[in-house]
Amino acid sequence: MSISNISRRNFLKTAGAATGGLVIGVALPMNALAAKGIMKDSGEELNAFIQIDDNGDTIIYCGRCEMGQGISTALPAAVADEMEADWARVTVKQGDGDEKYGPQATGGSASIRVMFQPMREAGATAKAMLIAAAAKVWKTSPDNCFAESHFVINKTNNQRLGYGELASIAANMPVPEKPTLKNKSDFKYIGKALPRHDQGEVVVGKRIYGVDTKLPGLKYAAIVHCPVLGGALKSLDKSDALKMKGVSDVIEIPRFNIPFGSIGGVAVVADNSWTAQQAVKKLKIAWDLGENVSYDTKEYKQQLVRNVEKPATLASERGDIKKAFGEAKHKMSATYTGGHLSHAPMEPNASVVWVQKDSCEVWASTQSPADIQKVLGQYLKREPKDIVVHVAMAGGAFGRKFKCDYVHEAAVISQETGAPIQLIWTREEDMRTGYYHSINAQHIEASMDDQGNVTGWLHRAAFPSIGTLFDPSMIRTPARSLGDVTDHLFGVENMRVESGDAKAHTRIGWYRAVYAIFYGFAFGTFADELAYKAGKDHLSFVNQLFDNNKNKEQQAQIKRAKNILAIAADKSGWDKRQNLPKGQGIGLAVHYSFQSFVAMAVHVEVKGDDIKVLNVDCVIDCGQVLNLDGATAQMEGAVVMGMSLALSTEVTFRGGAVVNSNFHDYPVMRISDMPNVRVHIPDSDESPTGLGEPGVAPFAPALSNAVFAASGKRYRDLPFKPLSV
Amino acid sequence: MKQSIIINGTEHAIDVDGNMPLLWFLRDHLEFTGTKFGCGSGLCGACTVHVDGQAIRSCVIPVSTLVGKKITTIEGLSENGDHPLQKAWLNNNVPQCGYCQAGQIMNAASLLAVNASPSEEEIDTAMQGNICRCGTYQRIKKAIVEAADTLSKEV
Repeated sequence: MSISNISRRNFLKTAGAATGGLVIGVALPMNALAAKGIMKDSGEELNAFIQIDDNGDTIIYCGRCEMGQGISTALPAAVADEMEADWARVTVKQGDGDEKYGPQATGGSASIRVMFQPMREAGATAKAMLIAAAAKVWKTSPDNCFAESHFVINKTNNQRLGYGELASIAANMPVPEKPTLKNKSDFKYIGKALPRHDQGEVVVGKRIYGVDTKLPGLKYAAIVHCPVLGGALKSLDKSDALKMKGVSDVIEIPRFNIPFGSIGGVAVVADNSWTAQQAVKKLKIAWDLGENVSYDTKEYKQQLVRNVEKPATLASERGDIKKAFGEAKHKMSATYTGGHLSHAPMEPNASVVWVQKDSCEVWASTQSPADIQKVLGQYLKREPKDIVVHVAMAGGAFGRKFKCDYVHEAAVISQETGAPIQLIWTREEDMRTGYYHSINAQHIEASMDDQGNVTGWLHRAAFPSIGTLFDPSMIRTPARSLGDVTDHLFGVENMRVESGDAKAHTRIGWYRAVYAIFYGFAFGTFADELAYKAGKDHLSFVNQLFDNNKNKEQQAQIKRAKNILAIAADKSGWDKRQNLPKGQGIGLAVHYSFQSFVAMAVHVEVKGDDIKVLNVDCVIDCGQVLNLDGATAQMEGAVVMGMSLALSTEVTFRGGAVVNSNFHDYPVMRISDMPNVRVHIPDSDESPTGLGEPGVAPFAPALSNAVFAASGKRYRDLPFKPLSV
Repeated sequence: MKQSIIINGTEHAIDVDGNMPLLWFLRDHLEFTGTKFGCGSGLCGACTVHVDGQAIRSCVIPVSTLVGKKITTIEGLSENGDHPLQKAWLNNNVPQCGYCQAGQIMNAASLLAVNASPSEEEIDTAMQGNICRCGTYQRIKKAIVEAADTLSKEV
């Protein structure tokens, strides 16, 4: 038997105050769970997250989605630490899509911010109940007992009872109102370098990803979409495809008119994925390409540049920028651009869906199971809770799998055919008909006095907004999306922020680090250009910019930003940069995003047009760290992703359609480009903040600054070295 | 007589369209899912397996060309998951999402089989075809060097 019978108690409802009053039911009362049919009356879970068997085997559920960022190790390890569980006795299981796990939509580097405290409290609660159970057995006071590594120990006589022995007794213990959390100095797992719980499975090929789902009677599908957004199927001749051996159906997928819905397409169903992919090529399709057929990113980017190099729509203003510019000793302006990016996770979009008369089951790599429940519920006219979503390990996601159009499509095919369907998008479909990070242009003009103080800052940004998915009539980014510009930590008294026109012609979708990619690039690079103009070095110039910020509410942040920038400089040998060989240089950048601070020092060697990144010193202050090795890995990975987008990756549209198709013309970084990355994480007692995304932003500006230091050449356009496609 | 192929020591009849790439024969026909689909064009290395000990991209090799050949997949690289590379991968906490890692390990195993102590440059050259989008390259390099060290001590 397992711990049970916490029924009719409001077990553990915790307000995640840090995220603004969000109430997270870590576990609903047992009777409510039973009433909802989620579990049977007897109950076999202490709550949604912890389950201890009478042999002591412990299961801790992770409700947030895992895509390689390590959340399914970090959060359960926090539970295990607080409950004094032996990590070796813990099995981590991924929770299905279910509100009992709290918010599961995994994005915005928010998991730790939202879930750290409630998960710790869940663990501490379990520990308190186990101790209470032991005290009852020993007829002593709980204060006379302590827990350690899956045992409760009697302080008086050193008697020990295992968690397994105590589990069902603990189930009858009262739930503590406010469990006591451990002190930092007593942590065994939190803040340590804990290996991922599942890497043993990874190295033998046994880790199951969404794409690996197999079911009896499974049919395989491949799909093609209209290459231009907004286009529609004009005619379809499926006869050749249907003639192929192993092909059973050709299904037209309707457009889902919702922000993250399928754009519609034509799918082939076959005995295996390869046959389905071959058959798709035999479909004779004519598309009505629609109004975006003239979309050309080369022209569009030039238009964005024009739109930011002339007055645009006011987003925010403080002080008197006209006066500042009028009194300026130096004036400086620059325009920065960036292209569309494709997330391109190694696992393409894939899911299995089986729609039956009385059930609908989904197995998917996803960042957003609740959205699948909602959308398929609407589509099938069923309750969201009746859509069972098994959240699979995602083979990378980077924001792409927040948008589950590929699941909608599999559901349509299963509904039409009655079979369980595995739909896998080919790499080409993923590259050509996905969601894309915004193409963008930013223009900055600044004024300085004779001391190198920045007195005025005009910032115009133009990029098609993610908001266009929700409101297609939107023709420019709204002021709220420019908040990171207005609230930037640089101290500039007079500032004007404007939004340039930028209508969307493709689907814009969050990519790891979101706005920070281009804001970080523009701020970090322009600061370097200003420093040069003022005759100062980057570090002292940026410190001066921070020091000029007199906003009381930002002082704590400024202190942290300056601190990590200093560490990055120090570790990189910034002070001795004059001694570097000719052609080498170090560039710095610091950026604040997802409530974390990341600074980078990039050391390059430049020979002609060839840029070789030698070393990267990366410093992150994300408050308290849950898993030191996981945090280090996230920074290493962020450098690589930052390097891909800084140097080489760009999605190009011509005639409304994406030109790139696979990794030969979307050249992500490969191993020979890998610099020596050194990650530095200062100890902190601040609340834990974002980790998955904030590392991406500072790389590109630090690289631009490094190349300038090494060669005098300034790169203002991402990627620096676009492939001609 | 039916044509067959030997996968991880077991003979399997090739009872599919011979043009089917080995990848899909493994994944969809035999349901050995350790070998991954990444690009379908031999560009990313996620599908790397061994044919008679040598690394190949299974997504572009028709199964009919492999009659009688010995295929090793990640599931068959070692008896107990204890190949020096697998151990080094764990020791260095290499995987993030882990999706590409089967291909990385298989490619590295093929490298070490012909070059027991590769230089950093040789590692780069050999591993250049294997993409990791999470960016674990630094740890991959370290793990390969470590495994090479282990192997050299075994000899």
